[in-house]
This record gives sequence, structure tokens and C-alpha cells, in this order.
Amino acid sequence: MTLGGGAMTNTIPEISQYSDVVFIIGSNTGECHPLIAKHVIQAQSRGAKLIVADPRMTDMANKADIWLRLPVGHNITLLNGLMHVIIKEKLYKAEFIQEHADGFDDLTRAVEDYTPAYVEDLTGISQQDLIAAARLYAGAGAAVILYCMGVTQFTYGTGTVASVSNLAVITGNLGRPGTGVCPLRGQNNVQGACDMGGLPNVFPGYLSVTDEKHRARFEKAWNTQLPPKPGLRIPEVADAVHQGKVKALYVFGENPVMSDPDNNHFIHALQELELLVVQDIFLTETARLAHVVLPAAGWAEKEGSFSNTERRVQRVRKAIEPPGNAKTDWWIFCALAQKMGAKGFEYQNTQEIWDELRQVVPEKWGGMTYARLDQVRGLNWPCPNEEHAGTPILYVGGKFTTPTGKANLKAVLFHPTGVAEDKIKEFKNPIVGKIAELPDREYAFTLTTGRRGYHYHTGTMTRKSLPLNQVGPEQMVEVNPQDAAVLEIEDGDYVKLTTRRGNIAVKVWVTDRVPEKTVFTTFHFWEANVNELTVKDTDPLSVIPEYKVAAVKIEKISLAEAKALYLEKAQKYRVELEQEVVAEMQKGWRV
Amino acid sequence: MANRFVIADPNKCIGCYTCMATCVMQHQQVGLQAYPRLQVTHTLAGTMPIQCRHCEDASCVAVCPVKAITVKNQSVQVNETVCIGCKMCALACPFGAITPYGTLPPSLREVGTFEQYAYVPEPRWPAPLYGQSGQTTELHPLLAWRIGQKAVAVKCDLCQFDEAGPACVRSCPTKALRLVEGEDIERLSKLKRSGAAIETASNVE
Repeated sequence: MTLGGGAMTNTIPEISQYSDVVFIIGSNTGECHPLIAKHVIQAQSRGAKLIVADPRMTDMANKADIWLRLPVGHNITLLNGLMHVIIKEKLYKAEFIQEHADGFDDLTRAVEDYTPAYVEDLTGISQQDLIAAARLYAGAGAAVILYCMGVTQFTYGTGTVASVSNLAVITGNLGRPGTGVCPLRGQNNVQGACDMGGLPNVFPGYLSVTDEKHRARFEKAWNTQLPPKPGLRIPEVADAVHQGKVKALYVFGENPVMSDPDNNHFIHALQELELLVVQDIFLTETARLAHVVLPAAGWAEKEGSFSNTERRVQRVRKAIEPPGNAKTDWWIFCALAQKMGAKGFEYQNTQEIWDELRQVVPEKWGGMTYARLDQVRGLNWPCPNEEHAGTPILYVGGKFTTPTGKANLKAVLFHPTGVAEDKIKEFKNPIVGKIAELPDREYAFTLTTGRRGYHYHTGTMTRKSLPLNQVGPEQMVEVNPQDAAVLEIEDGDYVKLTTRRGNIAVKVWVTDRVPEKTVFTTFHFWEANVNELTVKDTDPLSVIPEYKVAAVKIEKISLAEAKALYLEKAQKYRVELEQEVVAEMQKGWRV
Repeated sequence: MANRFVIADPNKCIGCYTCMATCVMQHQQVGLQAYPRLQVTHTLAGTMPIQCRHCEDASCVAVCPVKAITVKNQSVQVNETVCIGCKMCALACPFGAITPYGTLPPSLREVGTFEQYAYVPEPRWPAPLYGQSGQTTELHPLLAWRIGQKAVAVKCDLCQFDEAGPACVRSCPTKALRLVEGEDIERLSKLKRSGAAIETASNVE
């Protein structure tokens, strides 16, 4: 939409080698991407400057030269404020914009109102810090932006991403070593899953299903008719089930009962399904509600390739055999397709599947043979032929992959309670944001959510590891010391967090990591899963839910009350079922 | 020779907790308490793991009534099999580097008195939530207790059983942790003395 692709534009080692300024926004890089944080630290020791925008005192915020502690949800206010300063002080790269971007006039008008004084008024960020950050970023020879879920998980996440891209484009920070816009992907192969068309609207290589030309290419390769309509996105599934449009659901590599916002709504939907199939390596909270569970192989038990956050495709090789009847995902899909009478699923190994991809989408992966991947430590797509060395840096020379070949600068407007209609009408297709649920008298705190370093997502795997459980044995909610004093709660007390969707009991961690009137907790623990509380409003474009903001009430509770709530959750997530299955399996019973 | 110790550089620590998990694994493998002997601590001033400084005149050694804590190999070591779990060392330590932590006797585990559900992690000591009484204790947290649990003093032992040295130092992705040897301190002090002498001497009129 803005630059032409959905991936890191540059590679990770460039940060430590070339970046003069690193701007981290909405990413707890130290805890969630420690290996990338390592490159940031190396850059700092080389003399690079670090700007961090985060409401939480993450470890990177602590190390930042400038820490912009904005309130939760105000990314656009801040980014527009930075661009306001850059444009007012003429720190932008006029030549680069002239040659390689469209929409600068719209953008200039959109950020006009976001003066340092206005930004300070809305966010509390001092004008001095804002101006210093803008000068630092725009004045750098090479500046890179790292962002993560703290940018995207809002109802206006697309707008924030567009703003990030605007900022990089107007300062010419694209297409050179150490520059770029870098969305950090949270999972080893989430980039790969998207690359392979694991999205409802695209084929492998991000080729749209609505485009007849692309459809024809895949119809020819697969010798079948393909539907022209995009599928449902995850947050849309529950409603579709309720409306009777979806009767069967096949879930693999995902635990939506824990990870979907307002999960009570989702659990009700699952119960209405005629068929729920779950394919996973463990009996997850979702699998316990399934009619059929298919045992899958884990990462060390299969062949293939992973594509990491910097578009680098790397081979993965089997270290051990899968236990029992567990099979790799591709094998299960092929076997199932054959049983259903489908043709073209007669693959013998992952190399055959990979070679088919190389033939059908050669512009991205044509040159990445298994033989080459075995020799080098991965290749970055696009890599169209076997002589091609891969593409570590996208958009070199300002050549963007949009239809016009130029970057689109989008007007993005934001106000927590909404932007006036008249203002919106002044722009052509602006992206407009507001917060879905603001605190009020009853739900007086802002709840924001995320991950901790020691647990991974819904804890399916990490909670089975003793060392990790010893580091992070239980759910904790971060509460600012000022708020704790007012609420008369101490570190280690239990509180009940209540939103309009549900309630959980959590242990309190009194810490400066969160600003006043804001609390933070995670979705790692079934006994206190924050996704019982989150709102299910989504971004209209990407349909990513607003995990990062909800209004919440905090009440101190006794230990007995906390225990009662935990036991209630144990029944809800049918924890005893996993216990029974594990006991049966230990007796030698096989699935 | 001065005692050795592990110390972190807060400018390099990214708070990723890798050291803590490594510590648990390393000690579990040799049959010692599976509990992290260093604790990543977040403050406004900075983040770093806190662990035993292996003091020369260690107060923990002085208060131990059964001589379970001794100074040997240029370090302060707890013999977990001798420790009676009186917790005085934890109270005396100025850094909070000693944690009384224990395991439940296997019999109690098997009966399942404490863990009603699989994968409820074994709570950290003291975590009375899953305890039988279901009551919080009025005692100081260090003195709190659970039925059937034998707690012993757990602290950094510099992985003395491993020739490769402290596992946390090796696992740190940003090399924020380092082992300071007694010799290092002497050498550093000597260097600083030279520096101080040069500076003073060159400023003399």
C-alpha cells in the first residue's frame, strides 16, 4: 500500500554495522527479540544513537538516548508530531520525495496540526524531546526503524504502519544499508507462512487472489479452478460461525482459544461448529474442544525451510523422528487431500514442494535451490535465478514495488476520541484512528498486553519447560507504584482485573515499567489469560484486533478469592483433560 | 587472593532472562535446586541480574549455625545437603542474593496433594496459593513456610562443578555478564594506581 511489500526492508546485521540512529517504536526488543537487541547494543557501542517510543519502561527504553514515553495508543500523534518538526525545519529529503514518492502535499497538510505543543498536550512528551528526536532521526546518515506489535495491534494499526513508512520515506531512509522500515516478526517462520500465501487474500508470493492474471498462473500450475474471493480473517471467523456461514474449522499451529481477543466470544462460536479439527504437537486449550485431534510433528522433527523476519530462507533439517503417530503438517494435508479425492498432492518430500514454488513464483524464489540453501546460511528473497545472490536490501535507489513505482505517502489522522468529519473530508482516502475503548469512571485504568521474555505466546510449549517455568512461574500484572499506593495494594498481592468482557485474578508486580493509570499483563497463562479481557474491535484494513488498549477495573482480592477464580478457569479450559491424556500416554496408550 | 564473582553491565543487559533459564538448567542437571541463582531486576536506573558478590567477610557465612556456608576456591559456597533451611543467611545478605527454595518430597508430589492440575507450575517459594491451608501467612515472606517442603539456601555457586565456568556468562547474548577473578581486581587496582600517579604527577607544578 505504501512501499509495495510487507516485510523488513533491510537485514538485521546492518543495524550493528551501518545504522547511525535506531528508532524503536512499539517493540520490546530486549525481551521479545533479544538477538536483534544484541545488534542494537552493538550499534550503540559503535556510537549510534537510540530513540525509543514506548509507554513501558522496556530495557531498550532504559538504554535510549531519547525515550519518548507516550501514553498507550498515541503512536500516530507522535509520528505525525515528528514529521511536523521535520517538515517545518526542512529536514526532509526534497529530492528523494520528488523523484520517488507521491502524496507529500497531503501528508504535509495532515501533520500540520500536530505541533510540538499539541503533541505535548495530548501525550505529555516534552516539546524539547520531540524536537530532539526529530532532528536526530532526520539528521542521521542512516536511520532504521524497528517496530512490532505495539504499532500494529490497534484498530488503526494500518495507519500507524503507514505513518512509520511516511517518516522513513520523507527522510530518504530506505534502500541503503542501515536504513529501512523493519517490522520484527515474532515467530521463526511467520514471515515464511505469509510468503507462502498463508493469508486469506493472496497466493504464494503475495499475489492477490482477486487478480485474474495471478489466478490464471496458479490455476495452470495446479490444474484446478481457484475461487476469486478472499477468505475470512481469523477475527472474522467467530462471527461467521455464529451466522451459520462456517460449519467446520481446521486449526493448526495456532491456539485461538487463548490468543483471540474476547475469547469467550470465540469459545461460544467453537461450540456451535459441526466439526472442529485441531492439528498440533500438544493438546492445547483449543484442541481440548476439538472433535478430532491430529498429532503433528515439532520443529526438530521435520524437513523444510523457515523464512525469518529479514526474508532470509533457511533450511531446517530433521534431528529426531516424531514420536508415536505424529506426522509432519505437509504429510497430513496431502494424505487428507488424497482421501478427499484431490489430485496433485502426491509429494514425496519437502524438496518437491519447494521446487514447485520455485517454478510457479520464480520472481521471488526461483534461484533458491535446496543445494544452494545447503551451502550458504540462507538467502533473502527476491532471488529470481541461480546466479542471483538474493536481495538483502529492498527498494535500492528508491525503486518501490507499488504499481506506480513510487512510495505512497498516506495522510493519517488520529485523536483518541475521534477526528472531526470536516477534517477527514479535506483529504483523499486518509487513514483515521481513534481508541475503541477509553477508560471511564468505572473502568478507570488502561490495560495493555504483550509478552514476557521467558514464555512464548499461549505457553503451549514454554510452560512445559522447567527452566522457563522457574523463571516465570505465574501471571503478573505490572502496576505503577503511584497507583499501587492509591489502591493500597502491595507487590505480591492478588487483584481482580475486570473489563466489560470478563475477569481474571492476577498477582501484582509493583514496578516503574508501566506509567501511571496503565497496567500490563500477558496471554501466556490459562489461569489468568488477558484475552478474556481484551476488546475484539479490529482494524478495518488488516483486521488485527486492538490487543493493546482496553479499559479495566482493578480490585484487590484475597488469596481464597484468587484461588476460586483459578479453579473456575481450570474447568473452563478443561485442564484435567490434558492431565488425563498425559497419564494415559505414559501408560503406553497411543493416540 | 580476593574472591571471584559474576557481575553484569547494566548498559549491555537487555533483560532477556536467558541467564536465569540457563542457571536453572545447569543446576538441575547436576542435581542441585532447580532455581535461578540470579534475578533480572528492572529499575528506572537500569536493568541487570543481581547475584551473589561472594563477599570477603560474608555475613551469610557468619550467621550460618551449621557451617553449611563456607569460603572455598575463592568463593562463598552453600552445601545444600547440610543446610537446615533456617533462612538467616537470606535475611543477612545485603544484596538479596540468597533465596530459600525447596522441593516437595517425592511422596507428596505423587499423591498430588499440592498440584491439583497438570501444568500448574510448581509455585515459587513462598507461594501459598496452591498450599493446603489456602491462607496467606502473616510472617515475613522469608520466614513463610509450606507443609512438606524442605527449603534450603540457594545462591550463586559460580558453577563450580563445571570446568567451563559460570553458565550465565556463556549464555548471555550481549555479553553483559562477566566473571571477575581475584587477580583481575588486583591487576585493575594496580592499573588505576598507575593512572592516578601519572595524573597527579603530571599536574604538579
